[in-house]
Amino acid sequence: MYAYDAYDHAIVNARVAEFRDQVERRMSGELTEEEFRPLRLMNGLYLQLHAYMLRVAIPYGTLSADQMRKLAHIARRYDKGYGHFTTRQNIQYNWPKLSETPDILQELADVEMHAIQTSGNVIRNVTTDQFAGATADEVADPRPYAELIRQWSSFHPEFSFLPRKFKIAITGAREDRAAIKWHDIGLVVKENDAGEIGFEVLAGGGMGRTPVIAKTVRDFLPVKDLLSYLEAMLRVYNEQGRRDNKYKARIKILVEAMGIEEYARQVEEEWVKIKHTPIDVPAEEVARIKAFFAPPPLAVLSEDVPEVDALADKNFIFKSWLHNNTGRHKVPGYVNVTISLKPHGGIPGDATDGQMDLVATLADTYSQSEIRVSHEQNLILPHVARKDLPLLWAELDAAGLGTPNAGLLTDIIACPGLDYCSLANTRSIPIAQTITERFDDMKRLMDIGPLKIKISGCINSCGHHHAGHIGILGVDRRGEENYQLLLGGSGAEDASKAAILGPGFDEHGIVDAVEKVVAVYLGEREDGEEFLAAYRRLGADVFKEAVYGTD
Amino acid sequence: MAKKITGPQLVLANRLDDGRAVFLTAAGNWSNKVADAAVAANEEELSALMAIAQSAEVANLVVSVTPVAADTAGNTVAPAHIKFAMQARGPSVRSDLGYQVSPNWEQ
Repeated sequence: MYAYDAYDHAIVNARVAEFRDQVERRMSGELTEEEFRPLRLMNGLYLQLHAYMLRVAIPYGTLSADQMRKLAHIARRYDKGYGHFTTRQNIQYNWPKLSETPDILQELADVEMHAIQTSGNVIRNVTTDQFAGATADEVADPRPYAELIRQWSSFHPEFSFLPRKFKIAITGAREDRAAIKWHDIGLVVKENDAGEIGFEVLAGGGMGRTPVIAKTVRDFLPVKDLLSYLEAMLRVYNEQGRRDNKYKARIKILVEAMGIEEYARQVEEEWVKIKHTPIDVPAEEVARIKAFFAPPPLAVLSEDVPEVDALADKNFIFKSWLHNNTGRHKVPGYVNVTISLKPHGGIPGDATDGQMDLVATLADTYSQSEIRVSHEQNLILPHVARKDLPLLWAELDAAGLGTPNAGLLTDIIACPGLDYCSLANTRSIPIAQTITERFDDMKRLMDIGPLKIKISGCINSCGHHHAGHIGILGVDRRGEENYQLLLGGSGAEDASKAAILGPGFDEHGIVDAVEKVVAVYLGEREDGEEFLAAYRRLGADVFKEAVYGTD
Repeated sequence: MAKKITGPQLVLANRLDDGRAVFLTAAGNWSNKVADAAVAANEEELSALMAIAQSAEVANLVVSVTPVAADTAGNTVAPAHIKFAMQARGPSVRSDLGYQVSPNWEQ
């Protein structure tokens, strides 16, 4: 993985020192809250309902074992013994003290991490496929390009005050696990007819109160032009994006208003002016960054491991875990292991300091000291030898990390909701907990098959409800928590917007409604037909009738 | 001019240092126990509380001073709206954390 050079260290350490000074000046009263607020937000520090919240960037969801150990240490020393992995592949701490935040940032800087640009109207942490560099269905590892974008966008002086926040996602795989069509800019690594690597470039996606699926701006952009083209895209947005209304300030609104063709035309026009200026880095620099992401030297092993099959034959839970939580690696004899942070009845995305320490230790033993965070709020150990799976699973299971539900109905995305977040209208986590308890039966879950439930506690959509096969949106109905049910969304390569089925429910009714929806699917599905495909074939009416009756 | 209110109000804020939710008391202090909260019955009383609260903000003791509707049914006081009630209680999904455990849960 990428290692900081002297320049990276210097700017991150300088930022810690600067923030330490700002915190001291705030505590002494030299800075007012009005003056301090934008400064703390630039360092990822929010004020939530019960405390400050620190959002730490995990660039493109990649962590070393040592970094994970540091995250565990911070949870233990400065917080309440846990952290929350988010839908942006970041981690959030829910209880840091303002006065201790500079120390936390220094500890992070010591392991080449920071919280810069995890808030504010700037280019945020670039997200990607959690299996990047390790999956069999990949054209190329997208992380070197994500790192290039990180370096270009960090402290970019022209884009420090954009109309609104800006999120870029990149995938190198055919299967889109990074929800790139739901981002301000989406990049798909592809190969052209000449065998050159480049990108399909999409723009104008986003969730929030106006969900929009991104559209293609350019079918193929050579690697050498990546940064200058992104610069042109951002320039058009920065100049013309609305600043009069924060709800209409995202690029999706601009692209919808001018049309994708006109946006693309203006980007090309801007690009012609700047493409020959020194924005793009030389090929040697791209090669230098790529070298950090060189695949680990894995000896090819047999896919056939009798002890794995034997354990699967006698242990249904292990068999389910093998089926759901391990995926094909590009090297024979290896898999990528998804560690579910969705224990039934638990809090989606939360991990204790002890669990984080254990994952770090397991990464050292089984996954080349590498860990990934997925936007679906799980952890991944890449590059695990199949022969190690029985031992690894036993250690995970003993620590409450062996839930075999990756990709199933109980692998629910949920935002922190009103349990923590000052923007939320309703709680999200208790809904996820109740659903997972209602469906706490692995045989039933395996029968239902792949089904993504995503829950947001307000229209800002951190819980990705627009992209849920089943989406749940919490709304404030005259001071009461009320939950709307949406069906048919997708965050994958076949991205689609979920549609509201009908009137909302209270916290009990919404769980009953989910169960009715699942019952319709089970009754109506054709052989091998997954939930989303069945919904698309059947349409909403049959589900509506089951949930609301015929009256 | 006093803010128009339709029922009893209390004033909540977050402490500057650690961000914890606190309530303005009748004595003009900040308590982490919602039961200690002063309740304003009319606009004039709320104006008086807000003046105290805002001076505490200027003195860098608290931030995010917010007057909220109070539920005074029975012998208790609590924010009426669920959002602010959550601030008084702590996260519902971590019953081991927050003021729901003890007003002195961190000491």
